[in-house]
Amino acid sequence: MFSDDEIAVFLDELEEKIQCINDNILILEKEGGSREALQEIFRAAHTIKGSSGVMGYEKMSSLTHEMENLLDLMRKGLLPVSGAVVDTLFMALDTLHKLRDEITGKDVSIDIGDVVASLKKCQEETPGRPADREPAPEQELPAPPGGEGTALIGDVEEEVIRDAELKGYQAYWIDIKLDPGCMMKSVRAFLIFETLQQVGEVIKSEPPAEEIQDGRFEEGFKVILLTAEDPDRVKNLLMTVSEVAGVDVKQIVLGNGFEERPAKEEQAGPVPEKKAAQSARVEHPEIKTSQTVRVDVQRLDTLMNLVGELVIDRTRLNRFAEIFEGRFGADSGEMVDTLNEISGHLGQVTGDLQEQIMKARMLPVAQVFNRFPRMVRDLAQKMGKEINFIVEGHETELDRNVIEIIGDPLIHLIRNAVDHGIEKPEAREKLKKPRVGTLKLKASYMENHIIITVQDDGRGIDPGLLRQKAVEKGLLEREAAERMPDREALNLIFMPGFSTAAEVSDLSGRGVGMDVVRSQIEQINGMVDVVSTVGTGTTFTIKLPLTLAIIRALMVEIGREQFAFPLTNVVETISVPAGEVKKVRHSEVILVRGRILPLVRLAEIFGNEEKSEKERLFVVVLGVGEKKIGVIVDKLLGELEIVIKSLGEYLGKVPCISGATILGDGQVALIIDVRSLVKEIGVEETVYAAC
Amino acid sequence: MSKTERELGSMENQLVVFQLAEQTYGIDIASVFEIIRMETITRVPRTPDFVEGVINLRGKIIPVIDLCKRFNLAISERTNSSRIIIVDVDGNTIGMIVDAVSEVLRVPVDSIEPPPPMIHGINAAYLRGIAILDEKLIILLNLDKILYEHEKSELQGISLETA
Repeated sequence: MFSDDEIAVFLDELEEKIQCINDNILILEKEGGSREALQEIFRAAHTIKGSSGVMGYEKMSSLTHEMENLLDLMRKGLLPVSGAVVDTLFMALDTLHKLRDEITGKDVSIDIGDVVASLKKCQEETPGRPADREPAPEQELPAPPGGEGTALIGDVEEEVIRDAELKGYQAYWIDIKLDPGCMMKSVRAFLIFETLQQVGEVIKSEPPAEEIQDGRFEEGFKVILLTAEDPDRVKNLLMTVSEVAGVDVKQIVLGNGFEERPAKEEQAGPVPEKKAAQSARVEHPEIKTSQTVRVDVQRLDTLMNLVGELVIDRTRLNRFAEIFEGRFGADSGEMVDTLNEISGHLGQVTGDLQEQIMKARMLPVAQVFNRFPRMVRDLAQKMGKEINFIVEGHETELDRNVIEIIGDPLIHLIRNAVDHGIEKPEAREKLKKPRVGTLKLKASYMENHIIITVQDDGRGIDPGLLRQKAVEKGLLEREAAERMPDREALNLIFMPGFSTAAEVSDLSGRGVGMDVVRSQIEQINGMVDVVSTVGTGTTFTIKLPLTLAIIRALMVEIGREQFAFPLTNVVETISVPAGEVKKVRHSEVILVRGRILPLVRLAEIFGNEEKSEKERLFVVVLGVGEKKIGVIVDKLLGELEIVIKSLGEYLGKVPCISGATILGDGQVALIIDVRSLVKEIGVEETVYAAC
Repeated sequence: MSKTERELGSMENQLVVFQLAEQTYGIDIASVFEIIRMETITRVPRTPDFVEGVINLRGKIIPVIDLCKRFNLAISERTNSSRIIIVDVDGNTIGMIVDAVSEVLRVPVDSIEPPPPMIHGINAAYLRGIAILDEKLIILLNLDKILYEHEKSELQGISLETA
């Protein structure tokens, strides 16, 4: 009955509205009875009610109906905002979530009985609860007459209107414009009709009602409504329907054409006829909804590949120009210049194109961040803590793949901060800290990276205790531990096997699955670091690449082949005399600033033919977490921005190679998987001990 | 198996015919994307011997295998007539190096014989049959088997469930 596309649009909208409700309940809780927040929640609930009703999701529609009733009371000031009400609203919201999962098939048969009951109970507690909807406000006097014709009002309609007027109804000529980008015109139209039926009777429409309900209309339609309601109220009601861009209500006065009764506000949003791209919703004109279209990521990938081909052709064109010049030399004259000019311009455009497509793949981190305020609130409540949760940098954009992965580690870090970092209010007062703890989540750009920090002003982590624990667990020699600087000792929490929740939280209050956090972040070429001061707090800093598809890489030559090292893993490059290489237990090492660095010859690992010894060796120092190795290469070619491509399913996972990239001249260069390389070399702890 | 039978059931088979170590082979035209000239192949370390490396085919990275090495045939020189046949096997695009591509032939189904147990050192499992056409002997290859049999043991620790 509804196509998959329509259901997808419904789900998208549902997601958006649920988020909107979530955000606004939080505001409600924080600021007490914020009228705007209530209004937002009411609108969102109303939209869900309407569209879920049309789509036949009855449970959802009756749940939102109850929410609406409750919110209506609050909106009118009949019911104060209390903790209990907010909790009930949250409960309803959670149930909405579950109902959504039910639609997507992730969950089955959700019972809404309890929630509906508590919603009703809240309503019953209202002191002066009116029996039903408040009566419509009294009719105001008609405003000066308006312009356009009454051609559509035929004899039949005229009679009906006259009849109605006798009974105290007014006839209005309502012009409704839908958002030009509206995907479900028929559903919206249905909703509009339903809304209108609630307040009166539609006696005529243009185009005819059947066509409207089938979605066969352009941007909007017109109806004649008989109602006893105030035109402002009718207008406002219609505006609560999603994707309604504008409503114009005019009173019809028979015999005189009609009189215009403009509702208080002028058509709030941009006039839809002007440009199809204007999709700003009129519900909150001051907030500009982004003007977007949904695009399958696959399509963007294809676009990206096409750009890659363009780049290669451009290089070929360059080369052709050279050959051309060589062959025809002086004869060609301007032709060579023209050719070069074309190829140069082509290159520029291709570069810009590539950049734009990359940007198209980005999403704001708000997608992930939005769920945290609620989580922190719930956690804090459960733990009896008071936390002021600050989120900054919502709008920072990240590649969607990164967004998908970053959620889990962040949950971990935030949970830890609430759970173990921030102290209970009483404890904080004793320490002369503000009673309310502060937890700050912030995203920002730094060069080609995104920095996300999770900062708390809690008790901090004691590096001494971490050292002790590491030694007890046999992860570290006592001597090495003692010599380890505090900063490095803090990083011990990321070591696998270092912590299990119970043991560590007794001790330092941290470390729940921190190794998992780190490996998840490294999986997307990111890095995580921790800084902590005992008594003042802890800050985790996550550094992420903007995208997974393009990385900056250090290009090197080994033999006749080019390889790429992701720059995130490159610590430095050094040049050492061949004589400084020493042998330690069959493996080569060098001393770098007093520390031992194990050396690897890629040629050996990859089975290339052995190269003749040179006097000076180029060494690329690679780091993964604490471990560092040096790779001997023949030539350093410099940095390059490369597009990562998979080697494909057929070759599967090749050891030490994470993928390939296509160079400017169309050649393929392999990208080194530094993590697996380092693992393979197996930097033993003994090397550490020897430091 | 049923696929093979179905193919044999049609009246004619259209084949891309190529040369490999002085023998004539054929593969079903439906699995051939295109045929390209030899180009620089980037070696991928730690892959089986017969995997030559990868090439860039209009922005896509395509693995290339050497059929001679795959069948342990005498390795022939790369010449001007060497070609890479780009084929599609189970949704994977793969290039195969052959000595030369000679023609596209229509072969009546009834001229295709089942393969003998062993031919020119190539195991019958890799073969779909033998087509005899105007005194010419064309060995029909079974691409699925060629690309995926043995792989599990040779590409160590790699899961290739596609076969």
